[in-house]
Amino acid sequence: MIIEKTKLAFQKLLPATEPEPPAVEDPGEEVEEEKGKKAKVKKEPRQNGVIECDYAVHGYHLDAQVAPEQLIEAVTIVDEAEFFIESITGVDWIKEGQIEVVYDFSRYDFDTCRVVIRTRVNRDNPVVPTITTIYAGANWHERETHDFFGIKFDGHPHLIPLLLPEDADFHPLLKDFKA
Amino acid sequence: MSSPIQLQTDETFVLNVGPQHPATHGVLRVKMEMNGEYIVNAETVIGYIHRMHEKMGENKTYPQYLMNLSRMDYLGALGYSHGHVLVVEKAAGIEVPERAEYIRAIMVELNRIASHLFWFGAFVMDLGGFSPLMYALQDREYILDMLEAVTGSRLTYCYFRFGGLYNDIDDDFIDAARRFIPRMRKSLIKYDKLVTGNIIFRKRLEGNALLSKETCRKYGASSAVARGSGINFDVRKNEPYSVYPDFDFDVPVYHEGDSLARYMVRMKEMEQSLRIIEQGLDKLPDGPIMPKKKPKLIKPPAGDYYQAVETARGSFGVRLVSDGTKTPYRLKLRSPTYSNMHLFDESCRGMMIMDALAFMGSLDLVIPEIDR
Amino acid sequence: MGTQNVPSSLVQFAIADKLINIGRANSLWPLTFGIACCAIEMMATGCARFDMSRFGAEVFRPSPRQSDVMIVAGTITKKMMPGIKVLYDQMPEPKWVMALGNCAISGGPFAFEGQYSIVLGADEFLPVDVYVPGCPPRPEALLQGIIELEHLISDWKRWENPEIA
Repeated sequence: MIIEKTKLAFQKLLPATEPEPPAVEDPGEEVEEEKGKKAKVKKEPRQNGVIECDYAVHGYHLDAQVAPEQLIEAVTIVDEAEFFIESITGVDWIKEGQIEVVYDFSRYDFDTCRVVIRTRVNRDNPVVPTITTIYAGANWHERETHDFFGIKFDGHPHLIPLLLPEDADFHPLLKDFKA
Repeated sequence: MSSPIQLQTDETFVLNVGPQHPATHGVLRVKMEMNGEYIVNAETVIGYIHRMHEKMGENKTYPQYLMNLSRMDYLGALGYSHGHVLVVEKAAGIEVPERAEYIRAIMVELNRIASHLFWFGAFVMDLGGFSPLMYALQDREYILDMLEAVTGSRLTYCYFRFGGLYNDIDDDFIDAARRFIPRMRKSLIKYDKLVTGNIIFRKRLEGNALLSKETCRKYGASSAVARGSGINFDVRKNEPYSVYPDFDFDVPVYHEGDSLARYMVRMKEMEQSLRIIEQGLDKLPDGPIMPKKKPKLIKPPAGDYYQAVETARGSFGVRLVSDGTKTPYRLKLRSPTYSNMHLFDESCRGMMIMDALAFMGSLDLVIPEIDR
Repeated sequence: MGTQNVPSSLVQFAIADKLINIGRANSLWPLTFGIACCAIEMMATGCARFDMSRFGAEVFRPSPRQSDVMIVAGTITKKMMPGIKVLYDQMPEPKWVMALGNCAISGGPFAFEGQYSIVLGADEFLPVDVYVPGCPPRPEALLQGIIELEHLISDWKRWENPEIA
């Protein structure tokens, strides 16, 4: 099964021990905990690693968090396993001072497996290597993420605004953006 | 007669197929560097209808956002609403009654046929034939009448709710749908005879604009763009959702990879949609259309959720990042036309401009979906 | 574009102006300028069921230099606005503008706090003659807009106003 093969390939790349499911992914309980005991439960930041998720609840099978330096190797694993690139987007975690870049991959054949690769960078100077050399379709996705969040993709051939006007210098989807 | 003109390969000019153009299906701009009639390089400029659906997703509550999905792709609006509603129901754990899911599937398939009819009319108009547009839009009016009687609007529906629907279908709708199916079958035969066998049409499309499987994979293409190149991918079969496992239908796949293959895929898809509607009407169960226990305020638990559905244009995905409050933290809409359009820049090198415009028509573009 | 009585006893142009205005009203040539969802209703109006050619307006011209009326159908963004202004300037006089749909009237459903890329209505930079509300407006509403525009251009009424009569 492709899920097992890809998971093993990721585990070779990332630290050997599989981390516990992080506090952020816990459905429901932690919200009530926060109401009960205020500020005593602190969210642990998630460690780099690969987790197998429940497809019926979340909609994807494998979730891998990597450091920006390991990104190209992780995407090469996925490319050799014949996945197609679904989308690239960003999420602005302003309270933790980080921006997360999320890559979605999926398959064309009936051996379904959805893989999500995440990487976190600092909010003040977000730089992530580009994957356009592996997947040509990442070109527009990375330009759009740069438009919305200001993330610089190292090595991108043509990083100019895609959806905003050509002379735009604002990044709308950051949480502290005022129109 | 003097000798034929030599093409100066080092002299190119830039032709701006600008935002206002009858063949670009919306506000799309393509800067083409041309050498005579051949395209050397093309760069697509988008963003002329960027309406910030993703920013609105962060400022609006979940029920307030329902209307946005119809404006994204207005031709196949119900398929997109379906994807959004499914992901929020998955996240918040809302159960949907079976009757509501069957009605949703019937409506989505009717909408798919309407969208393909409009594409068919506009595509043949691009190639120069004006009559099929009239026939196709006339057939589409029957579908819009049926949908308007139930949902209340012709184009931008706001019909699905979290947990089900807001209005049930009545016997008039079922009768009209049953009468529509044989009429549509006859129309498809008419389009076949009028258009598909036409020698000019075939010569324009056959063998032009070939797309390989590897290109489709690198760009993430879906729907007729992938199925016309031999990739058997349909989200309704690969990752079944809703009540599609109960239906018996085929997925048309053609292997040539040219514009004619993409055209044939969509024509055959319309036939399969008619089969699904027939089976849906036969198997329609009785029951309520909204669940008994529904939360008053939709607050999904914190986490990441993803749902993909097969719309008329491809695999539409919604990625919801929720932090437990009543507005989403991040709502990403993965639009299929965005990935399909992206292949145009690389694939149209070396083509003549008329073949490139036929290629663009066969990709089935709706520009507000690219720009969101 | 009203008729003006030329103060001359030699040549009277009033009747010629009236006739020309009736001609203009009955054969408006729109510019194919569909931007978003409302464009689909505009195309449906031009087709067989809600025939716009009954009122003389089915000849959509792709080039602004050959058209009379610009039907702004869809949301106007800041990126597109210079282009629309150029198209309007290229149209020869006499010209009219119809704002079709809520987005072209006032920004529509996309006018919310925090928006950064929409122009709130076509009348911010164009002189609009007829407003047709709806999201999207029905094809019959677009036909009503064309008829109102005809009344604006010439004094000749297509039929008696049913509400007053």
